[in-house]
Amino acid sequence: MMNPIIHARGLTRRFGDFTAVDHLDIDVLPGSIFAFLGANGSGKSTTIRMLIGILRPTEGTIEVDGIDVIRRPRLVRDHIGYMGQRVSLYRGLSLRENVEFYAGLYNLSGAELERRWGALRERFSLGETEDEKAEDLPVGIRQRAGLALSTLHQPRVLFLDEPTTGVDVHNRGLFWELIQDEAKAGVTVFVTTHFLEEVEYCDWVCFIDAGRLIANDEPEALRRRYSAGYRIDIELPPEACDPAKALIRAAGHPVERTSIGLQLRVPELGAGTLATFERIAASHAGTIRIEQAPMTDVFRQVLAESGRPT
Amino acid sequence: MNLRRLSTLMRREILATFRDPFTVSILIAVPLVALLLFGQVLSTEVTGLNLGVLDASGTSASRRLVAELAVTGTFKPLPYATRDALEHSLVSGAISAALIIPPDFDRDLDVATGDVDRAEVQVIYDGGEAVLAGNAEGFLRSLIAASGANLVSQALPAAPAVPQPNRRGTASGGGSGIEMVVRSVFNPRLDGRPFMVAGTFGFVLSFLTVLITAVSIVSEKLTGTFEQLQVTPATPVEILLAKILPLGAVFALDVLLMVLVAGFVMHVWAEGSTLFFLLVSSFYVLVSLALGLIISATSQTAAEAVQKSVLFSIPLVQLSGFAFPIRSMPWPVQWVAEFFPATHYIRVCRAIYLRGEGPIALLPELILLAIFGVILMAFALRTIEARQ
Repeated sequence: MMNPIIHARGLTRRFGDFTAVDHLDIDVLPGSIFAFLGANGSGKSTTIRMLIGILRPTEGTIEVDGIDVIRRPRLVRDHIGYMGQRVSLYRGLSLRENVEFYAGLYNLSGAELERRWGALRERFSLGETEDEKAEDLPVGIRQRAGLALSTLHQPRVLFLDEPTTGVDVHNRGLFWELIQDEAKAGVTVFVTTHFLEEVEYCDWVCFIDAGRLIANDEPEALRRRYSAGYRIDIELPPEACDPAKALIRAAGHPVERTSIGLQLRVPELGAGTLATFERIAASHAGTIRIEQAPMTDVFRQVLAESGRPT
Repeated sequence: MNLRRLSTLMRREILATFRDPFTVSILIAVPLVALLLFGQVLSTEVTGLNLGVLDASGTSASRRLVAELAVTGTFKPLPYATRDALEHSLVSGAISAALIIPPDFDRDLDVATGDVDRAEVQVIYDGGEAVLAGNAEGFLRSLIAASGANLVSQALPAAPAVPQPNRRGTASGGGSGIEMVVRSVFNPRLDGRPFMVAGTFGFVLSFLTVLITAVSIVSEKLTGTFEQLQVTPATPVEILLAKILPLGAVFALDVLLMVLVAGFVMHVWAEGSTLFFLLVSSFYVLVSLALGLIISATSQTAAEAVQKSVLFSIPLVQLSGFAFPIRSMPWPVQWVAEFFPATHYIRVCRAIYLRGEGPIALLPELILLAIFGVILMAFALRTIEARQ
């Protein structure tokens, strides 16, 4: 197994008597998209602020890209990019001036800056808005610009704190495509969000509630553990239902008749199971509809099993 | 107008006001502090001022004059043996005024008549402290006139007891028996303009720098750019310097502009080196900007930062010596005043503008300003430091 690029143990932060983050253990693999989910006030932002070195933990250890963030917070800054909940473009400056400002902080200028920014400008579709003042940019473009700026210095790890808050569904989709591109290019993405459906874009999910980790696994594994799996609806002519039912039962799955055909639930979609359904649909001119359990339901179940009211 | 709606709106405002501890504390503290400051500390009444006394006469009459000055509580006489020591204490601020009683005071008093004042005393004050000097002179004039009249009336029972001060700087007219010869070590005409011009540098630079910088960091915190900055390789020192150096340069130009306007328009030029004044002022601007940054970095909202700046400016105006002489304040307040950098800067301004003093004479004040600078910069750095 690869060594984690983010490695935190016993991460705790108290504010007086209030424990915002309570003994978290986090491992994030290089090049993955790690979703850190939780309700508002659950401790997501506190955790991310500790991981990027701007908030000192009360207890615990943190390593990011092999650097001890607690002892050497400054050293880690060349290795990470960060985009906060509020996209941090300076008002009164054009997008281009913001780019030059942040580039200057990373000692980027001249041809190298033009090369990097030119590529980002094209990939993030920001060319037409370069001369616009930050405050005049639409929210979706501002978010893309914020993400572009946080990757300008080519960080190894990208921390995104609720990056899609306030962005419409269309732009959220575009934004997640860009995040996935970053991950494909080898950048590790640690992202907090409270949009549970965004988990679909991620390789790993961590649920936090009241400062404690309540689930920590791959999305599919969480679905298996905390939901009834997949719901399969097979639309069939009435005469085909009984033979199909027998086939499915023979494969080991309980199945029910419905008004349109058959319905069953499976905990996971193995190749053998899928092949059975395809054979039934092909031989009886039926259609198959597969529905995943929504992550909202998974989260509710996780909360319920952790003893918290849902 | 819908009264129910109005009452709903008012209820929300009242709740918002009284649930904010900072606002509540301002509402309670500011009126009380202002009342105490104006009513007690900043009263124009002159009490307990140190009066250096060189009694070369050493007679019962001179001792009685000094005793009568002491008994009113206005002055606290401190004996001096030499004139040099007296003038040195006056310039250093150890005493607010000086009284010199000549060796032949007693003899001259004996021959004084109801029409002619023979006995002379000399009063010296530091014209650089124009307000204090004016107050002290006025009080001394009337007290010496009254004491002189008493002394003469014992020798000449027919002499009138009520003194009539005149414009010659004497406390004679009407036969008080003692002529008060007034001399100022600086600013002999007690011209208020140089005094106020020099003080205004302190007020403007202190108040404006704090107000301008107070919103700088807190605004960035609110827009998220400060957090972003903290994650970049920029160090707190770089952030601090980037905040204060450009503004410092602008304020240094402001100082130059003020110097020129004061000189060409008001005809008030520094008695000392203008270059030295500009250098000291430029340094003070940085000190004051650091204070503004501390206010900004420790505030949660821009409104809170502005409120803190205004709160800070109240003692600045009242206790720094800009408008009211520190030496006539109660001693605990004098001590408090010493903890304001503005107090020392205003003192330096007046020393350069009115007394023409240079770096050597002002070294103690400059060292204090430097110490304030180091402390405030260090604290500003601490507040800017990324990790909380």
